[in-house]
Amino acid sequence: MARITAGVGSSHIPLLGVAVDQGKTTDDYFTPIFSGYEWTKEWIKGEKPDVIILVYNDHASAFDANIIPTFAIGTGERYKPADEGWGPREVPDVIGEPDLGWHIAQSLILDEFDMTIINEMDVDHGLTVPLSMMFGQPEAWPVKVIPLAVNVVTYPVPTGNRCWLLGEAIRRAVESYPEDLNVQIWGTGGMSHQLQGPRAGLINADWDNTFMDGLVGTSDKNRTIPHIEYLRETGSEGIEMVMWLIMRGALGAETRLLHRHYHVPCSNTAVGHIVLEPVT
Amino acid sequence: MSDKGASDTPEDLGEPKGEATGAIGPVGNQGDIAEYLEELEDIPGTRVYTAARARKGYWLNQFAMSLMKEENRTRWRADEKAYLDEWQLSDAVKQALLDRDYNRLLDLGGNIYFLAKVFSTDGLSFLQAVSTMTGMSVVEYKAMMDAGGRSPEGVRSIKGGY
Ligand SMILES: [Fe+2]
Repeated sequence: MARITAGVGSSHIPLLGVAVDQGKTTDDYFTPIFSGYEWTKEWIKGEKPDVIILVYNDHASAFDANIIPTFAIGTGERYKPADEGWGPREVPDVIGEPDLGWHIAQSLILDEFDMTIINEMDVDHGLTVPLSMMFGQPEAWPVKVIPLAVNVVTYPVPTGNRCWLLGEAIRRAVESYPEDLNVQIWGTGGMSHQLQGPRAGLINADWDNTFMDGLVGTSDKNRTIPHIEYLRETGSEGIEMVMWLIMRGALGAETRLLHRHYHVPCSNTAVGHIVLEPVT
Repeated sequence: MSDKGASDTPEDLGEPKGEATGAIGPVGNQGDIAEYLEELEDIPGTRVYTAARARKGYWLNQFAMSLMKEENRTRWRADEKAYLDEWQLSDAVKQALLDRDYNRLLDLGGNIYFLAKVFSTDGLSFLQAVSTMTGMSVVEYKAMMDAGGRSPEGVRSIKGGY
């Protein structure tokens, strides 16, 4: 049977992708950011996951203002990097896992999560930057990816609780798949940042670190944080952190901390990264 | 039904299935949409991208999306005004776009991820473009970020003043 063996949380800041693509990861500015991912890059070589369920948000790339899916799952064979206004990133195409993707999509719908299903789309920095952070610059990504896109742009976005429950349902779906697959789930985005208005540049390191504390062990207090708290405390774009709760929910009642990293700033944003495994 | 605790109300968000424990009631005040939307307007210097803004800015944002294609960027660069005239945009929106007045564009229903197509086409980074909304120079803004960013102290709530 397929199993979720680990959860990874990571920021997906576009500038991190630029740093990788332009070979700047050991600059003075980027070294304190990328050094916190070295542990994970080594660890994941040993773990050899078959599939990543990659929870991210589309930043007006595949989805325009017309259609706004709250939760969308990719069931395609492959996805190209999106052109976000400066040309597509020169990274490998992302290879899908349609068999497991469709299994999860069907399971979730019968489990009362009414997913949008996407067969063809381009994937933006939200999805490709975390792959670069974990795998560097390979010829081809060493894993298959099931994109899981969450609307965190147009309000109301899903509640943290709903995200957590979706994570639990994803775990049930994966565990009902007969093939032996090593599956990881990644929650991406955040941490505190605001990209708009006179309040832009907001960072809240205390809040971010309390949030990371709450992902470890048996605590489920993060699931009840209301939107307004993310907005007030972590900036208008800090709401992306609800996507980490899908990852956390998929790890079950208790997690063990394997690795943790936090750094301010990268561009306008606080970088957060955590690696967890389920305690079963 | 099993015992859900005290939160068995219409706005109850449901009992978790699976292995999570603990009763989950209404999350904050998200059960009351009027109060929910009112609170979103209570943050200093912030325009939360609500449904109302998404409606108002629909064609502004769709215009910005069009700049994801190189052929459209070329036409936009060649003659911005002529390109804008192809879209159902108010004069106010057109002027704010020509001025690259991002705070005004937020007021007119623009969303930053859509507007990013405009400043990316200009060759600006997020940091450079975002700084223009703060009243600081790029150098001052970057220095603030490098020193740990803007504190939330005093800018969490307009009404509350905290
Ligand atoms: Fe993002």
